[in-house]
Amino acid sequence: MTITLKQFKENLLVYGANVREWPEDIRQAGLKALEISSELRALLAEEERFERVLTTRWYEEPSRDLAERIVSVSLSKKKRVRRGLGGFFSELVWEFSLPKPALTAVSVLLILVLILGFAIGFSNPIGSVPTEGTQTDLQGFLYYEGEVL
Amino acid sequence: MDTGFSHLDDESLIQQIQQGSHEAFAAMVNRHSNRFYRIAYRLVFNKGDAEDMVQEAFLRLWARPQLWNPGKQAKFTTWFYKVVINLCFDLNKKRKPADLPGDLELADRRPGQDALLGIHQEQALVDGFIKELPERQQLALNLCFYEGLSNKEAAEILGVKVKALQSLIMRAKTTLKEKVKGHLGGGSI
Repeated sequence: MTITLKQFKENLLVYGANVREWPEDIRQAGLKALEISSELRALLAEEERFERVLTTRWYEEPSRDLAERIVSVSLSKKKRVRRGLGGFFSELVWEFSLPKPALTAVSVLLILVLILGFAIGFSNPIGSVPTEGTQTDLQGFLYYEGEVL
Repeated sequence: MDTGFSHLDDESLIQQIQQGSHEAFAAMVNRHSNRFYRIAYRLVFNKGDAEDMVQEAFLRLWARPQLWNPGKQAKFTTWFYKVVINLCFDLNKKRKPADLPGDLELADRRPGQDALLGIHQEQALVDGFIKELPERQQLALNLCFYEGLSNKEAAEILGVKVKALQSLIMRAKTTLKEKVKGHLGGGSI
């Protein structure tokens, strides 16, 4: 298997400057290409310098008692499991692993159903119910003289 | 601190945590807090905030351990990376741009400080360039280059295919390389 200049460049970016740690299926081809091409060796040297710059990035070690602190805080947390409405919904999202777009869609749907419910309610107000019929039924019920089962 | 749980793998530990074992939880925290702190620090650029994010993630795990579902998630650490990363991104969204820990103080011009200043300047520049990358490119770079995760695992954490992850890494590194060359000169890389 041979490797082109373009492939070598891409592999350098993806897998890094340590060719010996590249995936097995491309490692040998990479090493062989390096042996015969000075251009590839120059590319490798450039990548090594670039990675050295990247590793100079600022980093602060965590506090020595980080784990201890988390463990001790957790002891007091478990006992008071109080959930507000926000907490309930956030846990609901976690439970169903809903992505944000899906959550938005569900929320919009719920709001639309609510609006539709109000619209139906307002389009059929109490005043529009024929009261005469209701009264008649009530009278019939109150003054029913027939056989009661 | 050996609690007797240290020989258990993550998946067995979490099963113990799901049954309410605080010792198992302590073993999990001891095993992984530094690892998850590293990725949190790389994303929020601040020690205090990174520690808070890791603490918050572990407390959520303790309060609701059944959120990790062995049927859904392949590996505990893959899932927990997502938890920590989401907390960090949420924090970054809440911050105003001015709140983001910025470049290091470069105003120290006392004699003898030049070499140190050069190193700090380089560190601040690299951090600054990484901050300017799109969120997903930053994450791909952090997971693969700084954390040394395999492309497959990083892709799983990001929820993308391996090819897409590799494309993110290539774009991130190409952009960074150009910026580093532009600011630190071709001799630096």
